[in-house]
Amino acid sequence: MTTAVHTPPAVPALGEGPRDARRPRGEAALSGGLTAVLGAVGLALGLSVIFGEPRHLRIGWLLPLVGVRFDLDPLGGVFIAATGAVSIAVGIYAVGYARRGRWARFPLATLPVFVTSMLLVPAAGSVTTFLLAWEVMAATSLALVLSEHHRGAVRSAGIFYAIMTQLGFVAILLALVVLSGAGGGDAFETIAAHADGLTSGTRTTVFLLTLMGFGSKAGLLPLHAWLPRAHPEAPSPVSALMSAAMVNMGIYGIIRIDLQLLGPGPHWWGLTLMIFGAISAVFGVLQASVATDLKQLLAYSTTENMGLVTLALGAAALLSSFGAPTVAAIAMTAALLHLLSHAAFKTLGFLAAGSVLAATGLRDLDKLGGLARRMPATTVLFGIAALGASGLPLGAGFVSEWLLLQSLIHSPHDDNTLLALAMPLSVGAVALTTGLGIAAMAKAFGVGFLARPRSPAARAAREAPASMLTGMTLAAAACAVFAFAPVLLASTLQQVLAVLPTVGGDAAGPQLGTILRLPGVAGSISPGVLAAALVVAVVLALGIARWGARHRPAAAVAPLWACGADALSPRMQYTATSFAEPLQRVFDDVLRPDTDMEVTHFAESQYLVEKVTYRTSLADPVEQRFYAPVVRAVTTWAQWVRRAHTGSVHLYLAYGALGLLIVLLVAR
Amino acid sequence: MGWIAKIARVGRMVEPAQNAPEATIAPPTGVAGSLQIRHVDAGSCNGCELEISGAFSPVYDAERFGARLVASPRHADALLATGVVTRNMRQPLLNTLHAVPEPRVVIAVGDCACNGGVFAKGYGVVGSVGDVVPVDVEVPGCPPTPSQIITALRTVTGR
Repeated sequence: MTTAVHTPPAVPALGEGPRDARRPRGEAALSGGLTAVLGAVGLALGLSVIFGEPRHLRIGWLLPLVGVRFDLDPLGGVFIAATGAVSIAVGIYAVGYARRGRWARFPLATLPVFVTSMLLVPAAGSVTTFLLAWEVMAATSLALVLSEHHRGAVRSAGIFYAIMTQLGFVAILLALVVLSGAGGGDAFETIAAHADGLTSGTRTTVFLLTLMGFGSKAGLLPLHAWLPRAHPEAPSPVSALMSAAMVNMGIYGIIRIDLQLLGPGPHWWGLTLMIFGAISAVFGVLQASVATDLKQLLAYSTTENMGLVTLALGAAALLSSFGAPTVAAIAMTAALLHLLSHAAFKTLGFLAAGSVLAATGLRDLDKLGGLARRMPATTVLFGIAALGASGLPLGAGFVSEWLLLQSLIHSPHDDNTLLALAMPLSVGAVALTTGLGIAAMAKAFGVGFLARPRSPAARAAREAPASMLTGMTLAAAACAVFAFAPVLLASTLQQVLAVLPTVGGDAAGPQLGTILRLPGVAGSISPGVLAAALVVAVVLALGIARWGARHRPAAAVAPLWACGADALSPRMQYTATSFAEPLQRVFDDVLRPDTDMEVTHFAESQYLVEKVTYRTSLADPVEQRFYAPVVRAVTTWAQWVRRAHTGSVHLYLAYGALGLLIVLLVAR
Repeated sequence: MGWIAKIARVGRMVEPAQNAPEATIAPPTGVAGSLQIRHVDAGSCNGCELEISGAFSPVYDAERFGARLVASPRHADALLATGVVTRNMRQPLLNTLHAVPEPRVVIAVGDCACNGGVFAKGYGVVGSVGDVVPVDVEVPGCPPTPSQIITALRTVTGR
């Protein structure tokens, strides 16, 4: 098992090396355009289902025995619409990215297939169709992760991803087979109709297995290990699709199977979701705040945000199982809204990181810097994403995190020890997550884009081409909607909430007007008015300052003060490592960094230092504790089994004969 | 109540103030009794530094006349330079001078700063402070006493 090295090696710059002259430029446009069109179709279909009638589609001949069955309802619709919206931005972006980078034919051809499979997962109306779409999604995403398979890190990430995603699939497969066996049919409709007859043992088995399978897709702890490996190593449009759309499918599975088909479950289901969510959120953001690889930072931030969504889902389930539907509706709204806003800002974040990668060949924050002058548009766009991810007001993630905190704070817990304990602890977890998230995003933006370039590659950066900027601008516009005008999403969310489990049709959800009001809870906020007030305040302050300065002499220009030294060098700047060092020190027991310092003296004197070498590496502690023993055990077992594989054909024929004999004896 | 008894027993420590000397130069900020000073050691033997720290100690207490040492030349009105200017410190001295906003005052403290003193014409020496930057006030002595330094500072603070 390889460990995550603190300073990852530079990735070879995209666009370097010999250009493949045989590749027509049209391929990139075709693949990207098709992806965008599929996205647009998905968005339109999703919205039409949310506001219109549910749609059904049966194709009997496509799969033997059961056929393919699609049932579209508003819950699936919102996931289809979100995936579609992400795909539009990514498709347009991919045109420019594929031209600038060296994307081979196979991944270019796989991209639209991947998007299609992601659009089909939430549309599936039966277990077989769902599993088929799910597996196509897993396989195509693996092919896309392996786009740059000539690099060793990519192959290692690919193996990790392949094993974990297939183990997750096995868990889901087992769960759904048990469910359809006990539920009397293959279609979700049939299972829902027979759900009351399920024994509690079946329910528990299915819940635990699906939580494992879907949790690993959503990147929840401790099954997150593939995420910070595969997302950074995949090409950036693929990272955006995986991080903003594919992880959502894990959440979709939890909502559809656990909360809708099986629900309402016992109290401990909600509690389990909350615990896993809270741990994932805190651990993810902690790793993000000490990461120095820009894309790895964003990947850990995905774990964090999926943790928050799961926490909100768990809170909604727990609250509704204790008979507090109003607050549960707020938590459910928070979960949905955060899922959607995360899709918006994470798409933008990964696309902006991709244009940095395409321009410099660098993901290492310690080597970046000074991009604000060289790539102004990308800098502003990444800033919007970082603001959204940090959960501050005027950012895309603020409204949903505010809703989540409101639901946790205002949960009724008269004489209920469980709620009285769980809710304040969750508030603490969310607060810690948000605080560390701000540190992580301030680091990513400040160290990566501001100040002076720390390497020649960063100094030579050029702005991204128009199609990449267009894709990013679309994602930024979506971020702006979540930040300033969630009122535009009010009707959509209302339609979805009405069909959602744990909420119930009659419970009054939060009113997402120009002013957000929470019924039954003394809380209201207006992000639009907040933004307008900020603009007015800035204009006023600038105006007053200019008016006050009209009689002052012109400002003098003085050289920078460098404590008497001649010039400031980029090496004097804060790096991502030094920025995160205090945090790393505080969370030493959790992160367990491996730090090594070596001081070399001059041969002439012990008092004169020739050089100081400082090395620090941060491995994922969960990975080391939980995964390493498993991998060791499997390896030992495999070594043992290998003794039976001598390479002799005669022996293998004997094994076959022996096996047949045993089968015949047993089946006698 | 030990500390009150101690105050009574020790009595007044600070040197009594002399009569104010005649002002040689107008306070750079235009306000009497407010002079922010950045000190630069251009190559001193640290004798002058000891006396400067004595001048700002509770016994001599230069701050009661409105002189303060500050940490950054950006905050300063005056530069307090000591020692001969060595080759290594020539550019930093110039950089520091340029970092002090105008109008500013340069005060050279000690014989070395005024005319090179015992180190004049040394192999690593560029010259006196006056050879590198324009000097407004000179405080002779090797080293000058805290009283002499305070007297020179009072000619600038105007108090």
